[in-house]
Amino acid sequence: MNPSFESFLVLIISLEISIKPSLVTNLLIIIFALIYLIIRKIKIKSLLTLIFVPFIAAFTIFATLFWFSPKPDLYYALNLSTRVYVYTLTISCVTIDTDETKLARSLEQNIHLPSKFAYGVLAALNIVPRMREAVQQIRTAGMMRGVYLSFWSPVLYFKAILVALNSAENLAQGMESHGYVEGKERSVIIPIPVKKSDWIISAVILIIVNISLFMFK
Amino acid sequence: MTEIISKNLNFSYDNKTKILDNLNLTIPSGKFSLLIGPTGCGKSTFLKLLAGLYPKYAGKASGKIDLGNLKKAMMFQNAGEQFTMETPRQEIIFALENLQVNKNEYEKRLHKAVAFTKIDKLLDQKIVTLSGGEQQKVALAVLVAMNVDIFLLDEPFASCDPEARKFLIKKLANLRDQGKTIILSDHVLSDYEEVCDDLFKFTGKKIVQLTENEKNNLLQANNKKANYTFSIPNENNASVFTLQNTEIKQNRLLLKQSKLKIYKGKTTLITGPNGVGKTSLFKALTKMIPYSGSLTYKNKEIGKLKARKYLLQVAQIFQNATDQFLNITVKDEINLSKKNRKNKFFSDDKINEALAYLDLANHLDQVVYSLSGGQKKKLQILLMLISDQEVLLIDEPLSGLDHNSTKKVTHLMRESQKQRKQTFLIISHELEGLAEWCDYRLVFNHQKLEYVNK
Repeated sequence: MNPSFESFLVLIISLEISIKPSLVTNLLIIIFALIYLIIRKIKIKSLLTLIFVPFIAAFTIFATLFWFSPKPDLYYALNLSTRVYVYTLTISCVTIDTDETKLARSLEQNIHLPSKFAYGVLAALNIVPRMREAVQQIRTAGMMRGVYLSFWSPVLYFKAILVALNSAENLAQGMESHGYVEGKERSVIIPIPVKKSDWIISAVILIIVNISLFMFK
Repeated sequence: MTEIISKNLNFSYDNKTKILDNLNLTIPSGKFSLLIGPTGCGKSTFLKLLAGLYPKYAGKASGKIDLGNLKKAMMFQNAGEQFTMETPRQEIIFALENLQVNKNEYEKRLHKAVAFTKIDKLLDQKIVTLSGGEQQKVALAVLVAMNVDIFLLDEPFASCDPEARKFLIKKLANLRDQGKTIILSDHVLSDYEEVCDDLFKFTGKKIVQLTENEKNNLLQANNKKANYTFSIPNENNASVFTLQNTEIKQNRLLLKQSKLKIYKGKTTLITGPNGVGKTSLFKALTKMIPYSGSLTYKNKEIGKLKARKYLLQVAQIFQNATDQFLNITVKDEINLSKKNRKNKFFSDDKINEALAYLDLANHLDQVVYSLSGGQKKKLQILLMLISDQEVLLIDEPLSGLDHNSTKKVTHLMRESQKQRKQTFLIISHELEGLAEWCDYRLVFNHQKLEYVNK
């Protein structure tokens, strides 16, 4: 499915379930999202992380609303805690289909987002692994000179920010040196098509979600 | 014929010290031009001016640069910082989309660029995981795919092994023969004799073209091939590191060594092709990446040693100088290193002397990140020599240094090693200045390290 369509679909569904509470819809979405993830052959480890990490948030919400509230409301507590799973699982459905490069291309080609944003964000994402490596390198460099930089040390973050700033400036120059000019038209070498099926699938899913939202409590 | 002309060109970063002073220069198009000059003289600055990146991104300029409507692209000194995308293939697509190239043309150009630079194996690997030399090849491939008229290359072979260097220089000469203009800065002058058309030299804020005779003399003098010999170590000597069935992996298997000793108090030079895993070996020795099998420091398994204590004895001089810095100014950095001195070899007087010797004495209050590439390197090496570790792992200490700086840096390193009996492990593609005093040479190839005698 087209990455932009998929992202917007997830966004709309998330907004709708935030406005109109319906526990049944939440559960249905969770079940279908899980089935979809399994069909797409998600790794067991990622699946378990997806279930257990949000559990901390979901459990806290549930505990607050059910055990520690002066007026415990089981329905309300379940509704809010299942929402956590709706958000995380639907977003995983998007990310399992799409890498960031494809999403950036789709946003540029299908939604006509200015390329500056699409590639700016992409370049920033590509800096993340570099930053992670940089932090490790900075800590090692520190230890070699008798300076222990803990994870809350300001020096560590000062250095990391310097690295980021430096990369950002080089990146702007790097993009320009590879022919990028802001606002100039670019060709499309890898097209991200919008198919009829994208419209149909999105519409069908939205209709079903809406029916469920208004039919079931 | 079109020419690249600079007229009354002035440039400064801070309005005080001029880097270029009223420069009038004509560089012919369709030729192979080499730009030389001491570390920090402004070679990178001049190339960035030609590339149109300065004064847009830094500094102030007056005067005129005329490229005669030729398209240009530049390859940075630190190639790794130039990429927007995740993989070489994506980067080439990005660049060609910028130039509004269509899909058919893209495939032709991709094919050509990949064959030209021999990067077919790297095409879909993540750029962050490539070695310094591999990144330089990829950066060149992007320029070839872009099919620009002027190639501006800032020390494009600094992390390349000799074979890759020769190969790429030949390829650049091919491009020149196809009518492209090559403008390239380098400190190492070997291998250029037959391909370089014009030699330009930075002298005191100006750039002058050398005459044919001067050029030939300079290039020939640098083309002498010295033969170096090394001894083969006696296995009974005391060792610092011992490898036993050691394996190191990064995406692919890099090292599979059944047995090897690295000897105490000696200087061992490690050479090998780009991407073979030299820097990864250092990373394993400094606990930055894991290994399997046994890798010991003074008979203790490195994996089990506490990093904080261990790294005070075994330190690394990184390939990228800024990775080493922890403070802001040159003075702060020197003071930090002074704190770690364990013996009196680097007294305060000696440090001041060394700073003057390396031409850094006038830069004490400067922010380290604003030093030139070569100045950073010199400072970095001095810092790590001051804080006297027992073992220093030195990764490409001479990249970005001119002839004179190379001499000074190697002199300091040699003196420090001999007098304090430190153990040095040096990765370098540049043998001149090092090979004369290194005790042993290890060749790293086909996932193995082996001592050789020449």
